[in-house]
Amino acid sequence: MKEMAGFLATVLICDDEPPLRELIRLSLDGEYEFAEAEDGEESLELARRLKPDVVILDMMMPRLNGLEVLSEIRRDDELSDTAVIVLTAQPATREDALREGADAVMVKPFEPGQIAAAVKEVLASKR
Amino acid sequence: MNQAAADSRALDAATSATEGKPRLLRGRSGLLARIALSAVVVSVGLAIVFGVLFLAIITLRDRSVEAAHTQQVIASANRLQTLVIDLETSVRGFVISGNERDLGPWLRAQKQYPTEMEMLLSLTKDNPQQHLRALALRSAIHSYLSTYSRPLVRFIRGNPGLARDVALSNRGRTDVEKIRARFSRFLDTETALSNARQSRARTTAQHALWVGGAGLGASLLLILLGALYLNRAVARPVRLTARAAARIAGGDFSERLRATGPGEVGELERTFNTMVASLERTLADLEERNRTLAESEQVKGELVSNVSHELRTPLASVLGFSALMLDRDLPPHERRRYLEVIRTEAHRLAALLNDLLDLQRVEQEALELRHEAVNLNDLLAAQVTLYSAQSEAHALRFEAAGEPLMIRGDRDRLAQVIGNLLSNGIKYSPEGGEVEVGAGRVGDEVTVWVRDRGLGIPKDHQDRIFTKFFRGDVGRERGIAGTGLGLVLARQIVEAHGGEVGFESEEGAGSTFWFRLPAAAELEAAIPEGSLAAHDDS
Repeated sequence: MKEMAGFLATVLICDDEPPLRELIRLSLDGEYEFAEAEDGEESLELARRLKPDVVILDMMMPRLNGLEVLSEIRRDDELSDTAVIVLTAQPATREDALREGADAVMVKPFEPGQIAAAVKEVLASKR
Repeated sequence: MNQAAADSRALDAATSATEGKPRLLRGRSGLLARIALSAVVVSVGLAIVFGVLFLAIITLRDRSVEAAHTQQVIASANRLQTLVIDLETSVRGFVISGNERDLGPWLRAQKQYPTEMEMLLSLTKDNPQQHLRALALRSAIHSYLSTYSRPLVRFIRGNPGLARDVALSNRGRTDVEKIRARFSRFLDTETALSNARQSRARTTAQHALWVGGAGLGASLLLILLGALYLNRAVARPVRLTARAAARIAGGDFSERLRATGPGEVGELERTFNTMVASLERTLADLEERNRTLAESEQVKGELVSNVSHELRTPLASVLGFSALMLDRDLPPHERRRYLEVIRTEAHRLAALLNDLLDLQRVEQEALELRHEAVNLNDLLAAQVTLYSAQSEAHALRFEAAGEPLMIRGDRDRLAQVIGNLLSNGIKYSPEGGEVEVGAGRVGDEVTVWVRDRGLGIPKDHQDRIFTKFFRGDVGRERGIAGTGLGLVLARQIVEAHGGEVGFESEEGAGSTFWFRLPAAAELEAAIPEGSLAAHDDS
């Protein structure tokens, strides 16, 4: 799919925990172009600037939480094509995330294969 | 405070009302007594009114009897006078005509006269003056009959031819005129008496009317006053109580009655007030408990969500990196890096669990603090040595105070507090540098402080740093490890020792955390420092 466009799909990883960002990057195994954000505000700023294909968004982040970032992204016309995968530590918040317009929700902890499959899946459904 | 005072006053009033018998005599008498009293007052008033009315009626009857009596006297005198006139007229007729038949009225009058005279005499017995006059009348009539009328008739019968000459003499007429003058005087007196008596009877009747009217008015007034009193003493308080009860039922528990009612009514009002106060208290308690419960539910919810996040995030790293290691063929340096991440995150999980358990124990007050003598100088020195080894980039500086800083407390828990503060000082000055530790005694308190020249705490975070799981943005962004429980735990432990924790901080310039504990004055001299040091080593 990414070959169709001629260049790699961009994935914005938003999590305040450095090991988790690294884990996601490694799990996606270099098939994408990566950007990383440490908090909600930076996530939103990078999303608007880079217009990534996929945003992987942690629910609990400083400054703006994941749900707030998600609703901002969904309100932004220029980001209407952006797929969002929400990461949460609480299974109960899955519904909230889906209502706000998340394309997929992953509950921590997750297997590396699961996150890679989820990214592929949301990219496929977007194209 | 105020509420409690008011309640106790209400209770006092209620107790004294039931126990203070002597006060019953002064306006606190029972309702029954008051109703009986007002009934008695009304009855006595009515009895007086009726008594006066009765007297007035009796007097009126007496006056009527008197007036009727004079009328009888007058009638009797008139009849007697008519008889006397009949006597004279009949005698004159007989003298002129010589006819026996003309003597009929004379004979009848003579027959009736004694009875009539007796009646007049008996009627005037109550009036000596008139009685004397009546007696005089009788003798005058007797004299007229015996010296003139009867001899004349006898003479005419014996000498029918002489009749006219004798008859022409004026003796009889004069006698009768005299008698009539007597009658006239008698009647005048009696008429005057009659008039006086009638006038008195009228006045008495008038008085009786007045007394009756006034009595009726007074009775109405008394009954009205009685009704008003009962209304004020019973009906109104009951009505007010019912109204207050309705308002209370509507939810206004500030409602109170003015407990001024007599006897049982006052008791009812006071009991009512006590009941409402108790209801209000109970309601406030319930609301407070409800609020606390809701708050603790919210806190619990936040705790669960935080714990979930804080546990699942490192767990995700541990599982994720270990899965990568199993799935992929990695060069040795990558494997080592992954293992380091796994180990760090596993440590984080362990630390989190320890802090959580500690916190729970402290919060449930299950934490049993020992009360041993602790010299903070020694404890600080030991902790500084321990933490100095953790970071080569930091210089921990500690100068022991010149005097032993004795307190009573739990050595291990206090070491934990000092350790948390030192660890924070090191973690939040990531560029390395100096962490200064000091202690001193001011008055009867011992203060310990830990100062770093690190990141400091932004103003908008300063009031939240003692909140569970709160970690400054700076901490997360820079990947500083932590559970967000260290300071919470430190504060709980210090407060359990009767002390307090505080800090001063400026963003970018570093923070100073301190805690104060009460000094153990009596132990300073009693226990030499050496023995404490030996105790530390054991």
